[in-house]
Amino acid sequence: MKKYLVAFILLIQAAAIPDLAFAHGERAQQAGLRMRTVHWFDTAVSTTKLNVNDTVVVSGSFVPSVNWPEHMAGPDGTAFLNIGVPGPTFVRVDSRVNGMPMIRSTRFYKGQTYQYSITLKARTPGRYHVHPVLSVKDTGPVIGPGFWVEVGGSQADFQNTVKTMTGETIDLETYGMGNIAFWSLLWFAVGLVWFIYWLTKCPIIIPRYRRVAELGDKADDIITPTDKKVAATLLAVTLSLIGFGYFWAQDEYPITTPLQTGIVHLPEIDVSADREVDVTVADARYRIPGRSFELTLDVNNRSGKDVKLGNLTVANVRFVDPSVIDIKPADSHDLVASGGLRVEGGPIKAGESARIKVFAEDALWETYRLTSLIYDPDSRFGAMLYFYADDGARDYVEVGGSMLPVFM
Amino acid sequence: MTDTNEAAEARPKARSAVTTREQQWQVYKNIDLMAIPLIVLLFAGIFSFHFALTVGDWDYWVDWRDRRWWPLVTPLSLLVLPAVFGYLLWTKLRLPLAASVALLSFALAAWVSRVMNFEIFAGFPLNMVSPSTFIGLGLILDCTLMLTRSFFVTGLFGAFFFAVLIYPINWPLMAPFRVPVEYNGTLVTVADLMGYEYVRTAIPEYVRIIEQSTLRTFGEAVTPLTAVFAGFLAILMYYFWTWVGALASRAVWIKRIF
Repeated sequence: MKKYLVAFILLIQAAAIPDLAFAHGERAQQAGLRMRTVHWFDTAVSTTKLNVNDTVVVSGSFVPSVNWPEHMAGPDGTAFLNIGVPGPTFVRVDSRVNGMPMIRSTRFYKGQTYQYSITLKARTPGRYHVHPVLSVKDTGPVIGPGFWVEVGGSQADFQNTVKTMTGETIDLETYGMGNIAFWSLLWFAVGLVWFIYWLTKCPIIIPRYRRVAELGDKADDIITPTDKKVAATLLAVTLSLIGFGYFWAQDEYPITTPLQTGIVHLPEIDVSADREVDVTVADARYRIPGRSFELTLDVNNRSGKDVKLGNLTVANVRFVDPSVIDIKPADSHDLVASGGLRVEGGPIKAGESARIKVFAEDALWETYRLTSLIYDPDSRFGAMLYFYADDGARDYVEVGGSMLPVFM
Repeated sequence: MTDTNEAAEARPKARSAVTTREQQWQVYKNIDLMAIPLIVLLFAGIFSFHFALTVGDWDYWVDWRDRRWWPLVTPLSLLVLPAVFGYLLWTKLRLPLAASVALLSFALAAWVSRVMNFEIFAGFPLNMVSPSTFIGLGLILDCTLMLTRSFFVTGLFGAFFFAVLIYPINWPLMAPFRVPVEYNGTLVTVADLMGYEYVRTAIPEYVRIIEQSTLRTFGEAVTPLTAVFAGFLAILMYYFWTWVGALASRAVWIKRIF
């Protein structure tokens, strides 16, 4: 009996104490959506351990895919560079794209490269999975790679002051709260006066119901002169308070502006030196039994150096050839398949064209739910290829197109 | 005489527990004691749900309360329950309490929700998510009904001012958050800055509906124009929902059920 009781208590505890979600369900989105919307790369965090009030910079680059699904609104309408953290555990003190402050929304054009940085100030202690996010109007969030960041210290120490254009230094954590509390309580009190006035006449439900029914058309006779006086007084008090409050606020805050919004236009950056390799997809197949993605590519190397394919990134999963580039996972959730990339036919000589065959093979296809691509309505893929020269120079090029599943 | 009737006569006659006027008065008081808190809770629940569905984020966040849509959408939504219940309470009990009690109850529920859900659970600073105040507007509606004893006049003046005054009554709470701040060469308000800094991953900047419309005839007089427009719509809303209250008070459906 005792063991059943213990088991029951444990069961109740398990149900009652929920696991807090510190990540963002990045595998939940459709595979095709993750592959063909935004290609994130060079994502980095400046530190993975900090204290409350310290800052961490999330930075990197992204390219909105030229293979963006037709049935989804694109980022060239309205989009916003966002950050995926569990609520206001951090405050965003700065964010920029191509050097432009990003407090407002903007437009991102497909195929262009954007460099971003987001500076966060730690507010709440804990361990959080921090992602860059591109929020696209009528499409939703497109999540970039995530990194675990640990925040120590105490939230009680958190400070967030800002200087207004009227010269006042304010703490955003508590600013205006005295005002809000005072006026809210005042209106509560005035409202209660009216309510309590009627409650003093209790019982009011049955006796009034019967009396009103008895009086019929003359039911207004139930109203006393005192009722009218109280109503008139309270109406006058209410209108006076509204007027007084309005003019008091105008006097106290004479300089105000309406809420601000709008679209910011971004400057372009020159990345032509990083884009001297052209690739055409000759064939693309996904072999389901082997969890192997096979690409046949025609590569034209316009650069002055020999290049090798070292990294194929699909939906933030990096399939890497370690003989070309050494990329180590930053943490346990960094999606790197070291040794997951095999290339037949490289390197591509400077100024030459060649056909290569690429194999991206790893269990991450399964665990990261990319195999569900075969259930997409248009069976198309998108990926970013990274070619490396011996001196470390890098070229990147997006590929995409139809993909054939191989079932047996 | 049948056996059944004989048995009934043999039983002692049922007597009321209430035999004096004082006892009856006490029963009425007990009914009030039970019903009024329930009504307050009911108002709080219904109003919170209704408001969340129709206004929602517009009132949850300090950086959403713009001067064109917030003063238009909010009073039209707020008028529904005061008008419906106002008809019931006035015609059946001559109590001009529906609007003020509904808005008092709603204010109480809103504060509980903002503190529990938004501040304690989600971690937002309370000044960013504190509710607006509407109680004074309920008083205007109730006191007008009391003084005029007419739904027509209450709609014409009470409902009109209910909507017109929603911005001024909240200005003491909102004005501090409209103070300008320079952010990296961009003009923003304190509210805009808070909306940007305190991260809401699911609420990107563009989902706010800030002054989106074509009503620009009167230049920069956005708020007065919106207020008067909201006032006219509020009159119609009040009459419509009072009519719904009249339909509901017939209780035809309840009779059919029983």
